[in-house]
Amino acid sequence: MKLTRREFIKTNAIAAAATTAGMSIPGVALAAAPQSQDGVRWDKGVCRYCGTGCGVLVGVKDGRVVATQGDPDAPVNKGLNCVKGYFLSKIMYGKDRLTRPLLRMKDGKFDKNGEFAPISWDAAFDIMAEKVKATLKEPTQGPYGVAMFGSGQWTVWEGYAAAKLMKAGFRSNSIDPNARHCMASAVAGFMRTFGIDEPMGCYDDAEHADVFALWGSNMAEMHPILWSRITNRRLTANHVRIHVLSTFTHRSCELADNELIFKPQSDLAILNYICNYIIQNKAVNQDFVKKNVGFFKGVTDIGYGLRPNHPLEQVANNNGYPGADGKPKGDPNKHAPITFDEFAKFVSEYTLDKAHEISGVPKDKLEALAKAYADPKVKVTSYWTMGFNQHTRGTWVNNMIYNVHLLVGKISEPGNSPFSLTGQPSACGTAREVGTFAHRLPADLVVMNPKHREFAEKAWKLPAGTIPPTPGYHAVLQSRMLKDGKIGFYWTSTTNNMQAGPNINGEIYPGWRNPKAFVVVSDVYPTVSAMSADLILPCAMWMEKEGMFGNAERRGQMWRQQVKAPGESRSDLWQYMEFSKRFKVEDVWPADLLAKAPELKGKTLYDVLYANGQVNKFPKEELAKVNAHAWAGYTNDESEAFGFYVQKGLFEEYAGFGRGHAHDLADFDTYHKVRGLRWPVVDGKETLWRFREGYDPYVKKGEGVKFYGYPDGKAKIFALPYQPAAESPDKEFDLWLCTGRVLEHWHTGSMTRRAPELYKAFPDAVVWMHPKDAEKRGLKRNDVVKVSTRRGDIELRVDTKGRNKPPEGLIFIPFFDEHRLVNKLTLDATCPISKETDFKKCAAKVVKA
Amino acid sequence: MNISSAIIHALPGDVAVVQAGLATLAGVEVHAISPDGKLIVTIETDDDGSNVATYERIGQLDGVMSTAMVYHQTESEPDKEI
Repeated sequence: MKLTRREFIKTNAIAAAATTAGMSIPGVALAAAPQSQDGVRWDKGVCRYCGTGCGVLVGVKDGRVVATQGDPDAPVNKGLNCVKGYFLSKIMYGKDRLTRPLLRMKDGKFDKNGEFAPISWDAAFDIMAEKVKATLKEPTQGPYGVAMFGSGQWTVWEGYAAAKLMKAGFRSNSIDPNARHCMASAVAGFMRTFGIDEPMGCYDDAEHADVFALWGSNMAEMHPILWSRITNRRLTANHVRIHVLSTFTHRSCELADNELIFKPQSDLAILNYICNYIIQNKAVNQDFVKKNVGFFKGVTDIGYGLRPNHPLEQVANNNGYPGADGKPKGDPNKHAPITFDEFAKFVSEYTLDKAHEISGVPKDKLEALAKAYADPKVKVTSYWTMGFNQHTRGTWVNNMIYNVHLLVGKISEPGNSPFSLTGQPSACGTAREVGTFAHRLPADLVVMNPKHREFAEKAWKLPAGTIPPTPGYHAVLQSRMLKDGKIGFYWTSTTNNMQAGPNINGEIYPGWRNPKAFVVVSDVYPTVSAMSADLILPCAMWMEKEGMFGNAERRGQMWRQQVKAPGESRSDLWQYMEFSKRFKVEDVWPADLLAKAPELKGKTLYDVLYANGQVNKFPKEELAKVNAHAWAGYTNDESEAFGFYVQKGLFEEYAGFGRGHAHDLADFDTYHKVRGLRWPVVDGKETLWRFREGYDPYVKKGEGVKFYGYPDGKAKIFALPYQPAAESPDKEFDLWLCTGRVLEHWHTGSMTRRAPELYKAFPDAVVWMHPKDAEKRGLKRNDVVKVSTRRGDIELRVDTKGRNKPPEGLIFIPFFDEHRLVNKLTLDATCPISKETDFKKCAAKVVKA
Repeated sequence: MNISSAIIHALPGDVAVVQAGLATLAGVEVHAISPDGKLIVTIETDDDGSNVATYERIGQLDGVMSTAMVYHQTESEPDKEI
């Protein structure tokens, strides 16, 4: 029988779906994984988008990715993909892909107001090196004026190479990932409650929980594959219930048994009410609490992370900013021990009446939620994302969800799990575990701790005192320092801050265009950020390089380079390593530091950081050997360029930080064979639930539960109050503005919007609004309106129906649309502890345009 | 052209409604239905825009709880024999 290509592909597609669903179809053979045939070579990969970390099989034909399939062997997604997976084979092939370095020039020379013109990599690195050296010497700037902004989309080794170049090479801690905008509050929450970062549970909780509670998370659209696991659980186990908490009605509410639409910021009051309910109803797990928990009261007048001259900061006595005497005003992270009774008294004022009054949620709905957490027979998994994290009290609200789980002991076991989801493919793997934050080093170490610096300096074979002791400029502070002329050299990659960062008009744009700053953007497409830069460097992306991502359940996953990058595009990894050759140690280090290691004299940063006998330990022949099970003669572009297995060397040096310290990773070769492993990986075995005996190798026999992040083995419960947002609606700006995402587009749309046909699917951002709010303003669906805040205005169409249904008094605008930059409107207020921006709350008004 | 397959999860009581809804969408074919409400479908379209729109419309059908794509391939010569 003859078969057309269409029929052949369709049969494969049906077989893959049937296998994944566990169904049989007459006449269709089940296939576990596609075979390499029809000229298509298949290999395992990881999705490029969100933090779920779905496994995808990647089909390559004639040097191009032509097909993808959900990986049936991947435990995360078990063969499924969300609709964004559909673009995976296309994200690399947009028509406007950048392929050459571009510099703003006039009359053949760099000019900040010139037009972009192609230059060579050599010339690009020349001017970059010149600007770095000038910044280091400039007294008003210095080393911290050399700054970098990366992301949770860096591969593990890219983030590691970047952090090393900045913190050890240029001796600047001014490196931060866009993850600061995304889950810094989750990190600070973990560190404060548990003394160690990242979730204790894993995705397997989805098959064990009796109740799911979503807090500020629209998983149906943002984490569709995890949502399909929850849907499956809900529809196949009759007793399972779902509670969805949000400030507006969205897709996830369709499956909700209890939908709680609360007023912005009132999640703080609801969480305290639940604790109060648990205590009043004698549902505290006394044995668990006595053994595993300590109680603390945090300082409260911590400000809102605004500029120090803002009125809200001048009255805050614990924001840590310099006071009149020049000394820091307190510390927003400060907390002191209290007793259980004191905690009980503290939350006792959060009665059902008060929680209802503050939140606007009907009392029966609040009680149903509290009851689920309190019932000892019910296993509860809580999920949250940006609703919690992008919050001026983001660290608090993370602490407070743990309060609830800890009081009832529902933690660290199958189905009982407070679980912070992430939005980027390697927010956990790169931003957090590698430690690319302004205050961090690998494996939860921090620059402020002398012992941690000493550990890192030894691991990197560098003299004592190389790593500076103060945190560098974090994301929002970078924008302010650019505007204030304190940053002279700024290099960003794998992110699009001119679209995604807050208060573009007030801070970011004036900062980037400040003549005192030279801004380099490494990117694959001409994003808003690239077009606002002085120099654009073309990058390799996703399957054009060998990579490793770490997902939200501590799972590290690797892939091989499948195809070549177009034109002169190079990976970020190549860019950092090649650029480091432009500096002699003498150019960047003070004489007294160099005197401690005279053997380094005359060497380049490349020699010191990468050709250090560790990173360059594995010869090129290893590539074919390590990957022989996948295909013969494998190699990758970075290893060809530098002459050794770059990724393996960087990984193994990095993994040395965590092994034996509860962050153990498996060896490099293993990851190229398996579908990811969840750390700590000890003796080849991954860890599903941390802190519990029998699951976690760091908990000894007889210990039961041990929160070993703190020396006393206990977690912390915090007494923290409800406080208002930094900016609330008033007479003139009478609506809450909330921003976020839609299913079709990932973040700023730089990848998902590339296919021009996509304009048909979800072309332009709209403002979702309650029909009554529209009517009051004389607006009809599809009218063009002007949305303004104190910082700017944008025009877009209004939608009063469809997938998002805000209550009266709130509007929602997604941030994917570069022609309707909602971040011109947002306020750069942050959580004072985590420094993460609150993109969910500011005051806006809407009028007909 | 684009060929993809997906698993649709419907409330078990709503399978017939979902099936009727799917029948109105161009390029969508149902290949199997399980007793617990899972449907195996393929989606064929000529361009990316309508493919995404089709997924969006499936998601909006009454009774559909989740839609997950499994396989996707682009093919420039669909009628060529192999």
